[in-house]
Amino acid sequence: MSMYQVKPVCGSLLKTDLPTCMYTLPNIHGQQGNSCTSDLCSQHALQNGEVDPAVKALEARQDEILRKLYELKAAVDGLAKTVTTPDADLDLTVSSSLSSQSPSSTTFTGVTNLDTLLGKDLGALRDIVINANPAQPPLTLLVLHSVLCQRYRVLSTVHVHSSVSNVPPQLLSCLGPRHADSYARQMFQLGFTLIWKDVPKLQMKFSVQNMCPIEGEANVARFLFKLLSPYPNDAALATLVDSWVDMAFFQLAEGSAKERAAVLRALNSALGRSPWLAGQEFSLADMACYCCVLQSGPASSTPSNVQRWLKSCENLGHFSPAKPFLQ
Amino acid sequence: MALNLTINTSNPPLGALLAAEHVKASVQISVEEGKDTRLQVSDAIQFNDTNSISRYLARVAPALGLYGSNMMEQTEVDHWLEFSARRLCGQSGVSAALGELDKALSLRTFLVGQSVTLADLSVWASLKGHAEWPSQGKTCSHVNRWFFFLSSQVPFTAVGNKYASKKAPMTKSNTLVLAYHAATMDLRGLPTSQDMVRPTPQHSALHQAKQLRCTRIASECTQFPSAKHT
Repeated sequence: MSMYQVKPVCGSLLKTDLPTCMYTLPNIHGQQGNSCTSDLCSQHALQNGEVDPAVKALEARQDEILRKLYELKAAVDGLAKTVTTPDADLDLTVSSSLSSQSPSSTTFTGVTNLDTLLGKDLGALRDIVINANPAQPPLTLLVLHSVLCQRYRVLSTVHVHSSVSNVPPQLLSCLGPRHADSYARQMFQLGFTLIWKDVPKLQMKFSVQNMCPIEGEANVARFLFKLLSPYPNDAALATLVDSWVDMAFFQLAEGSAKERAAVLRALNSALGRSPWLAGQEFSLADMACYCCVLQSGPASSTPSNVQRWLKSCENLGHFSPAKPFLQ
Repeated sequence: MALNLTINTSNPPLGALLAAEHVKASVQISVEEGKDTRLQVSDAIQFNDTNSISRYLARVAPALGLYGSNMMEQTEVDHWLEFSARRLCGQSGVSAALGELDKALSLRTFLVGQSVTLADLSVWASLKGHAEWPSQGKTCSHVNRWFFFLSSQVPFTAVGNKYASKKAPMTKSNTLVLAYHAATMDLRGLPTSQDMVRPTPQHSALHQAKQLRCTRIASECTQFPSAKHT
């Protein structure tokens, strides 16, 4: 292997005085023969296929980095999905514990499947956003909200827009306590977001990609009621409901004393013919007129049929959410 | 059963008359002139206001789709019925209402869906009967396009010629604007109703994408208002 060897010029165990402030290095001159053989051994071992632990560590580090990169990519993909489908919920791992909750409603039957009513959606929460003026709390909508909550899993939230200040606490809590599972939006069927805002007329925004914003409490009430129960099939009855709703919101709620008296007379004669305003079934007409009659003033001059009907409405138990605002 | 619509000749309910004109092929309906507007449906039920009459007529002829094809379109139709009855009939604030209408029509041929509905009928009728239209609406190009497109359709010309003149006699300014529109149409070819259907931007993919983006931004602003909290 080597052609010639130089003999050590000094003794192998030479003691040198080393400074202690520096790192010590092995004496390269010292165990020359020994170190040479061990190096050879390790070189042979590497050639035989064994892996140096340093390389192993390096590979492990690379794997770890790659794994982190994949995770990052997955997270970015998830975020991209929320951008393409607004409202999609990232965290699908939360089990839907609410699905066992059974809907219970006594008066409203007929509609149970939101998909058939509103069309398929792609995993996004159907959020009904309502801008209302705190000067005129929409009592009918509060009543409808509480009935919707009995039928569907509703995620309700109340916000205050910066255009209004000093919203009374009872308006802030008008949709009931905050739901414990409100972080998991995919567990709900409907979102009901009420924003107290300085708007001249109540507004509803729903599915804004293909629908214009809907103005007017009457129209929003019609929409919400259709989620609970279909309108009568009979064209005349359905239109009768609509005309009572118009009368309630335009003449009872906003009209002069004379107009109110005329509507009360009309209510009285209609209620003389049938138990409810649109025939044998409780409908949106009764709900709207009840709220507007109570809102519009004292009940002293109320005709007898109307008084009987007010009691019947009372007995249904739907109107408790509106009670705190009827002073 | 033949329906009988009685109209107040001094203030004809144009929206209801238009609805009657649309459904007359599928429902027997006769129009009578009288003192009060009313539609007698049965012994106990009669409707006196334009919106209720229109609603009833749209419902007895469901095949025409005048009340929209699904629940969301129905809600939009309800919105425009109230809009025309309350916002476009008062004398004040019409320009604001016209601005909103213009915005809504910017990407649409018809107000709701892809065909004519009660929304178009009632808003058109309110504008037709309004004294300040079209002098107020000069700046609303989309409303102008939509209004004259509908005006050229058969049911609208029939009702317009027969009844609208009774309420608001054609003034000089009205005639001028009509002449102006006729002239601009001549430049583009024959002023037939087909010609007036301009290729709607809502069918173009680019516009759709734009609209989607705008509405999405709008919806996010409404859905997460917490950033604006006081």
